[in-house]
Amino acid sequence: MTPNSKTETPAFARITTRREFGLAVLIALITIFVSFFDPRFLDAINLRDIIVRCAPTAIVACGMMLVIVTAEIDISVGSLMALTAAAMGIMLSENEWNLSLWIGLPATLMLGTAVGLLTGLLVTVGKVPSIIVTLGLLTALRGFTTLIMGGKNIDGLPPSLQHAAKQGFWGIPLSVWVAACVLVMTLVIIAWTPLGRRIFAFGSSRYAATMCGLSEKPLKLFVFAYTGFLTALATIVDVPRLPTIESGIGLEFELLVVTCVVVGGVSINGGRGTLLGVLLAVVLMTMIRPVLTYLEIGEEAEKWTKAIQGTLIAIAVIGDSLFRRRGRGESRS
Amino acid sequence: MMIHSQATQSDRLLLRIDRINKAYGGVQALQDVSFDVGRGEVHALCGENGAGKSTLIKLLTGVTRPDSGSLVMNQRALPVGNVRGCEAAGIAVLHQESTAFPDLNAIDNIFVGRELRVAGGLLLARDAMRREAAELLEQLGESIDLTVPLGQLPLAQRQMVSMARAMSCQCQLFIMDEPTASLSAQESQKMLALVKQLKEQGISILYVSHRLEEIFQIADSVTVLRDGQYVATHAVEDLHDRKLIQLMVGRELDELTVRQTVSQSKSDETQKPSTLKVDQLSRQGIFQDVSFSIAPGEIVGMAGLVGAGRSEIARAIFGIDPYDEGTVEVNGQMLPGGSVARAKHVGMAMVPEDRQHEGLVLPMSVQNNLTLANLRDLQDFGWLSQTRERGQAKRLIADLDIRVTDPQLPVETLSGGNQQKVVIGKWLASMPNLLILDEPTRGVDVAAKAQVHRLIRELADEGMATLIISSELSEILTLSDRILVIHQGRIAAEFEGATATQEQLLHAALVGSAS
Repeated sequence: MTPNSKTETPAFARITTRREFGLAVLIALITIFVSFFDPRFLDAINLRDIIVRCAPTAIVACGMMLVIVTAEIDISVGSLMALTAAAMGIMLSENEWNLSLWIGLPATLMLGTAVGLLTGLLVTVGKVPSIIVTLGLLTALRGFTTLIMGGKNIDGLPPSLQHAAKQGFWGIPLSVWVAACVLVMTLVIIAWTPLGRRIFAFGSSRYAATMCGLSEKPLKLFVFAYTGFLTALATIVDVPRLPTIESGIGLEFELLVVTCVVVGGVSINGGRGTLLGVLLAVVLMTMIRPVLTYLEIGEEAEKWTKAIQGTLIAIAVIGDSLFRRRGRGESRS
Repeated sequence: MMIHSQATQSDRLLLRIDRINKAYGGVQALQDVSFDVGRGEVHALCGENGAGKSTLIKLLTGVTRPDSGSLVMNQRALPVGNVRGCEAAGIAVLHQESTAFPDLNAIDNIFVGRELRVAGGLLLARDAMRREAAELLEQLGESIDLTVPLGQLPLAQRQMVSMARAMSCQCQLFIMDEPTASLSAQESQKMLALVKQLKEQGISILYVSHRLEEIFQIADSVTVLRDGQYVATHAVEDLHDRKLIQLMVGRELDELTVRQTVSQSKSDETQKPSTLKVDQLSRQGIFQDVSFSIAPGEIVGMAGLVGAGRSEIARAIFGIDPYDEGTVEVNGQMLPGGSVARAKHVGMAMVPEDRQHEGLVLPMSVQNNLTLANLRDLQDFGWLSQTRERGQAKRLIADLDIRVTDPQLPVETLSGGNQQKVVIGKWLASMPNLLILDEPTRGVDVAAKAQVHRLIRELADEGMATLIISSELSEILTLSDRILVIHQGRIAAEFEGATATQEQLLHAALVGSAS
């Protein structure tokens, strides 16, 4: 119930200028185009495959979104995924420690959260820019992974975990269920908790936040710890799909996640973004690869995927800065 | 009835500010300031720029803490240095600069930091907040789309949202720092009506404004600060324009003894074609119809309040900001708007207001800073000539008497005054014939200030035309041959530097016309 209609922009105009609208239209157009080219694209098995591929990215993007909303960044999630995968493998594999799931999985989650918390501490207490902290962790965590794996791959994960990851429940893999839960949880945090509101407030104007007496530390510790937790969670539900755990798991995963968040309309200057936009961007980014396969680009698909992802991130960032400038012009601050 | 009158007195007293001291670095921002604010009164706080008003507000709202002294509200000490504690004690504030969150909507802007909650404090009470926000804004007579990010709303509406935020916490003391500075006349009247309404509800208001007519319209009493010191508190009935200005400037007006006599030949020089000629320069909503000229060797001072549009005019002349109408001519050459490169090419240079951010590359060496604006002339076939760079830096360091042991030291290791000389030197390297200085001695100690002043005077004597913007009236009076006073984006008055007084300038800056 908004009191005055004079100050409102027409609903249609407001929707069409939004990032979410553009992404949805793009996804729809691509789907129509590809299914025209090859109707098998719309087969349930292919759509299921796309959704399963989306799941881990969507899970981690929920955390990354909050990090970027506070005008920070975390580029270590790919390496953290490798480290948590290795740790999980060592703890659970029948060829290694062969621990119970009830010990191994919580321990994996705690490891991810702890690394996220460490990042947060270095950023808030240590006052090191997050790009530097996580750049360091990007290399360091990958190094630890190689160390603890001792040069060999890990297999022999518990069959129940592999089954949950591949077949899941009611035909839908565990990762998709978990991704749905994480999306709902993140939505609740953003829309219904004081914490979420303060995260956006802080990213929107650090000055105003200080003047309101909001403190930076708890907010940033939370967003980094949450991202670490979600990275471990994504590892648990997605990695057991693979036959073996290699030290190269999660390579360049951080780039994919950051790309999705930025393409999804989250401002790299902080303060602005929606979960729906991020989710749509995850879908768009994930479908590029299968789309190229169906267009029978074949061998070149891998190269094209990277090129297209890169182009999209550039467009998104340029669009964001243009939007910012226009927004400034409209309202003198 | 002794007891009764005592009781009413303590009933009437809301806030006692007692012997407050606060220093920033070596600068004493507030010195031994004490005064009371009564219950339900509109108490105006006046003083020139730098008198300590903003510092006092920061202390009262818990943004910073005092070095000594006490703040007592409702006979209880305020929790100093604790923003939310001060809020809880009943102090709300409408800051001068917008403290709104541009990406959040009105509801979130009003409640962030003290959200209404349900489910044992876990979740936001979204409906309740929406209802209360709409109610608060309705009380303020404002209807705002609650769903739109605040950055997309006009300034006046943003201001109203900040008002609503302040009012949502049941405050007893409402501090308003220049609430009308960026509002139109009509919007200002609405704001003043709101102030009266708040007062009727028994809320005390500490009202900071440079607009004297507003103070006389709404205030019950007025406290004047000057140079961080308490001057006086008067009932508004006992004051008038001129008296208030006199209190702000100080009785013992600095006699202009420092002033160097303007050279005799000045009258001849004014016959020469002017170096800078600005004609009818206007920018929508920022400044209008600004026309003036500066002759070679002349120093023109620009006085006015912060926000009057002085820096914006200078930035438009130099091409940093665009302008809508009018012309800028340098040595008879018309300049296209919005091009710093052209401005530099015709011999203009500008020392910006915020030297740390805009004027210097702090970690770079003194030498590199000095030559930064002039690299083009130091090139040999596109390569930077180290020898010539060193030579030029050496010459400037000697000319300006910059105290540095080694030109290779980073500029951030120098004192404020020497840093300022480096900024000026950087622009002198390109041999400008028109120099614009925005607040050339802000944050610089007295000795260095005198050096900078001498330097400016010397350069003018060598024929350079100079435009100086300063909020320090004594600086303007010391240096200028001619003084322009800017009031709300227009040239309100023009004075001869030799005969003008601080009172005249302040009157023109505050009221908008010469007294």
